[in-house]
Amino acid sequence: MASPTTAAKPAANIVPKKKRHSSLRNEEMTAWWFVLPAFALLLIFVFYPMLQAFIISFQNYNLVGGTKTFVGLDNYKTLITDHSFLASLGHSFYFAIIVIPIQTIISLGMALLIQKKVVATGLFRTLYFIPVVISTAVAATVFKLIYNKEYGLLNNFLELLHLPTTNFLSNPDTAMNGVIMLGMWKAVGFFMIIFLAGLNNIPQDLYEAARVDGASKIQQFFRITLPLLNRTTAFVVIITTIDAIKISGLVFVLTNGGPNGATETAVFYIYQMAFKQMQMGYGTAAAFILFAIVLAISLVQMRLFRNQDY
Amino acid sequence: MNRFASFAKYTAMIIIAIISIIPIVWMITGASRPYEELFKYSNSFNIHLFVPVHPTLQNFKDVIFNERNPFLTYIGNTLFVAAIVTVLVLLINSMAAFAFAKLRFRGKAIVFALFMSAMIIPGEVTLVPNYLLMHAFGWLDSYKALIIPSMLSVFGIFLLRQFFAEIPDEILEAAKIDGATMPRTFARIVLPAAVPPMITLGLMTFLGNWDSYLWPLIVINDDKKQMIQVAIAAFSSAEGTDWSKILAASTISTVPILILFLFLQRYYIQGITASGVKG
Repeated sequence: MASPTTAAKPAANIVPKKKRHSSLRNEEMTAWWFVLPAFALLLIFVFYPMLQAFIISFQNYNLVGGTKTFVGLDNYKTLITDHSFLASLGHSFYFAIIVIPIQTIISLGMALLIQKKVVATGLFRTLYFIPVVISTAVAATVFKLIYNKEYGLLNNFLELLHLPTTNFLSNPDTAMNGVIMLGMWKAVGFFMIIFLAGLNNIPQDLYEAARVDGASKIQQFFRITLPLLNRTTAFVVIITTIDAIKISGLVFVLTNGGPNGATETAVFYIYQMAFKQMQMGYGTAAAFILFAIVLAISLVQMRLFRNQDY
Repeated sequence: MNRFASFAKYTAMIIIAIISIIPIVWMITGASRPYEELFKYSNSFNIHLFVPVHPTLQNFKDVIFNERNPFLTYIGNTLFVAAIVTVLVLLINSMAAFAFAKLRFRGKAIVFALFMSAMIIPGEVTLVPNYLLMHAFGWLDSYKALIIPSMLSVFGIFLLRQFFAEIPDEILEAAKIDGATMPRTFARIVLPAAVPPMITLGLMTFLGNWDSYLWPLIVINDDKKQMIQVAIAAFSSAEGTDWSKILAASTISTVPILILFLFLQRYYIQGITASGVKG
């Protein structure tokens, strides 16, 4: 690293051009040393596994027996007719379709509520954000009890309002909704902060001008706030979609896929296949299909939001 | 009308606040009740739904001194792994971010594009090959499997590069003229100028590791080496009905992280904001 510098020194006063050249080379060496650790990690733990995953997905790979045979597209062919895989994709999509609009609207609403700095907004912001920090396993454990039919806080509350009570998690029809409620409870604070940042970037004089022109609050919201939040909303919707389709942690702890497989999501299925049934090739092929779907949806969404640009 | 609107607004704000924190308040107070009391007051809304009648620390003692589920060991394990990963993430990724922000080298654009493209590769796709890699290295059941693959943070490089780019070139030039080497300039000038984003990235990394579940579940088999989240999940399905202890275990694993967050929340939230606005 140091040698180019010492080599350049004697020539420094006489030939400045050469010095500049070798100091650039020196800088180049240093730069590579700075990038190298991260770059090595990137190649070993991201790109190499990605390549491996591609190969494994065409194999019948069993870790226990140590056997791997090339089976071509068989894994993919079997997957697209595999009912439990399709069902798990269905559950992930159900989660996404419910969560994307509701969570986006709630988090935007929360951001609007605490946008204006008045008494205690800082406190409210902190309180709203706390669920984001609570770990998935703890949140799921506590919610298991909150959903309990006899003792749970939620049913207790429903009873108070004279609404029907149910154990959300033991009924296949409602279990996914239980997962959804917990998922939103944990995530809205995060997206609220992102919306808040987006709202603060909108120039205030636009609102003043609108007020002078006699625009109502509702008009201001639809004509100024929403269009100018386009980029932020795009970010929120895309991230929510990706997270929602990849949902797994909550399911592991809250329901473990049950009841009757009603909450088996795609990532849960991949885990089951690869690490419980030890069918690594099949699980990886499923992961690739999931990746392709997520990528396609994100690209379409990006397109849609770009076209709407003001 | 205006007064009504502001009343409605505050009501909404308070209701959301209650929904946000009630599960946590209930967890903490539930953990400090004797088991017989936990469900006694659950069928009506009165003060004792949240305030223990006979507050006790017994549940915490039972959980901490439990031979079979030594929660302090799990917390120690997790602290150890999360702290090491955080330090290494900060070091390795700030170096790369500095090179991308301030140094000239051939292939910079391509290498940077490679890093950014890694953002779209989800961990789920590489789960199996990464597991096989750990198997091949003989790292299964050791903390190397948790630490080494976690040292890279593409998001961290992205975040820090934005901050480093704003440091004026003149300062770096001045250091160079004074004879400082590049690593020295980096350690003495660049890093001290980037304390807030470093805290942001550090806190995000630490919390992310504290929360990690799937990867430790896969690569760690030895119960004594397990991470806190897997332990909590296993504990709550093994103990089944002993909810007081389950709540105590959850509280023990939550309170330290909550305190850390409350102290450093400004940075954490700033970091999230930065990632959002630029997306």
